[in-house]
Amino acid sequence: MAFKKKPVQRKKRFTTGIREQSQCRFCREKIDYIDYKDIPTLQKLLTNRGKIFSRKRSGNCASCQRKVKFAIKRARFMGLLPYSL
Amino acid sequence: MGTIGKRVYEALFLVDTAIAAADWDGTIKLIETVLSRGDAEILSIRKWDERKLAYDIDGKGRGTYILAYFRMETQKVTVVERAIRLSEKIMRVMILRTDRMTQADMDKPTPIVLAEMQPAGTEGVPAGIAPSEPAVPAAPSPN
Repeated sequence: MAFKKKPVQRKKRFTTGIREQSQCRFCREKIDYIDYKDIPTLQKLLTNRGKIFSRKRSGNCASCQRKVKFAIKRARFMGLLPYSL
Repeated sequence: MGTIGKRVYEALFLVDTAIAAADWDGTIKLIETVLSRGDAEILSIRKWDERKLAYDIDGKGRGTYILAYFRMETQKVTVVERAIRLSEKIMRVMILRTDRMTQADMDKPTPIVLAEMQPAGTEGVPAGIAPSEPAVPAAPSPN
């Protein structure tokens, strides 16, 4: 007795309409150097208390997160950003 | 030991607003004197911004930032840094190597120029104050 193969039904994925970002914000814009003087950009990566957002929260890749870290620390030294609030 | 030669550096100087406002030419001359200790060839020097500091430095709440680009020998950087440390008028300095910097990058408008270009009443949020709307979208819950 031959079994008829059932057509494979692919599971319909739940789509919200918003495509998940595959790259971090700096990689998308091909930013090579994160300037410590660019305060509006760095401000977006800090909490209200002046702490750096985690990679999970900011969506940065490891390399860019490292660049952000150095930029924020330089800005803090120069008094452009707070160490803590 | 081989010589590395000259490199382009970027330096951001932080000086007291009162001193800078009282004697701007003297402040610029002081920075030029400090850089001349390292035989620096100054490419550009201008006011970057004048703003409230994120925290008090040397008991001062406001500061004037001066941005300078110069070409200098690598070994002379320590000489300049020592001269800056001895200067009482310069509160902080950040000297970084900027080899990839082009003339267009150096001539980019500074925040103070951008603020002057903007019409009155539409100035951006000052530094140190968080924007009203969340800049980073909230991460989805792990569940």
